[in-house]
Amino acid sequence: MGARRDEEFVEFVTAHRHDLVRAAVLLCAGDETMAEDLVQTTLTRLYLSWGRMSRAKSQLAYARASLTHAFIDEMRRAYRRRERTHESPGQLAGPGQVEGSDPHLRQVVLTALATLGPRQRAVVVLRHWFDLDTAETARILGCSVGTVKSQNARGLAHLRELLGDLERDFFLEVGL
Amino acid sequence: MTDQPDLRRALDLAASGDRAMVSPETDLARARAAAQARSRRRLRTGLAAVVVVVVGGIGVASLVQRQADERETTTPQDVLTEPITLVAMPLDAAPYTFDLTPQGWSVQAQKPTAVTIAPDDDSTSSDPDDFEGKLVITFDDNPLAGARVEHEGRTFWVIGDSGHTTMSAPTGPGEPSGVVRIQYPDNSGWDRHTMMRFLASVHVGDDAQPSVG
Repeated sequence: MGARRDEEFVEFVTAHRHDLVRAAVLLCAGDETMAEDLVQTTLTRLYLSWGRMSRAKSQLAYARASLTHAFIDEMRRAYRRRERTHESPGQLAGPGQVEGSDPHLRQVVLTALATLGPRQRAVVVLRHWFDLDTAETARILGCSVGTVKSQNARGLAHLRELLGDLERDFFLEVGL
Repeated sequence: MTDQPDLRRALDLAASGDRAMVSPETDLARARAAAQARSRRRLRTGLAAVVVVVVGGIGVASLVQRQADERETTTPQDVLTEPITLVAMPLDAAPYTFDLTPQGWSVQAQKPTAVTIAPDDDSTSSDPDDFEGKLVITFDDNPLAGARVEHEGRTFWVIGDSGHTTMSAPTGPGEPSGVVRIQYPDNSGWDRHTMMRFLASVHVGDDAQPSVG
């Protein structure tokens, strides 16, 4: 039982850790240290409740939901803000970390994400990065569909305001 | 599929980066250590419960008396598990807010009908629909039931069932009319007095909706 769980866990981590880190970086608006902490917390929680994990229809979807819960939990802990010593989340993504794209543009997007509230950012990531519908997003965040819709609309409007002027040049420059 | 393909691309770019590979074995070692720590914690709680039973059996009168006072809603684990500390800090779980915050517990989910609060020690599921080991605060129109307990001028109703205790109180003046309830696990450090203080600090907002059932 234990050996099998370990084997399945290692298999899952090998296949999906990278995806989880990328998602965590978005949720944390570029704070790589916090993102790594979040992934470690999530993987530990998944291991502790591996029975549920192994029964999930999609293990990756289950892990993404767990990652989002860990993020929301973390942001709710008041001490987290006091303990953070970083200048700003966006400033943590330094040049040279990005492969095949302009680090400045990446920075712009992360900085824009950092201006959203944690739940609003989570809604944007769940809806537009994980591609979840409003009902599933609401279930994961433990709120109503109406709240998801309103948070999503506000989040997108805010991002559009910050990124709108850059949009055309931005996507031409990165060759998209 | 989202109707925001450009946003998807922007997020894709933002998530990119060169990162050092972490060995899965490192994650496995960390997870195993957490599992062992949890087992030790559970063992300690179990042994503590056994001690209470043995002490009670040989008739230490004062302890038995105290147990008797709390027998209605309290299990042996409640007496010996580390007690919950409430700090005077607002806890926002709109449409519900609390004047007090339980140290080491965080809001996991909030809906107009209910709030789930879970311990921060990863001992419970991260699924907000799984209530095992968590506090669940609900608002409804159902009748009050259980033993009446007075606390600082307010009346609470307390009832225990299957390892959980539910404490209820009518909503306060100016709040939507109904009953606010907290269900808490008996082996998590919450005692009746602490829970009454916590429940007394809740404010039910106008957006709260009574749950059905």
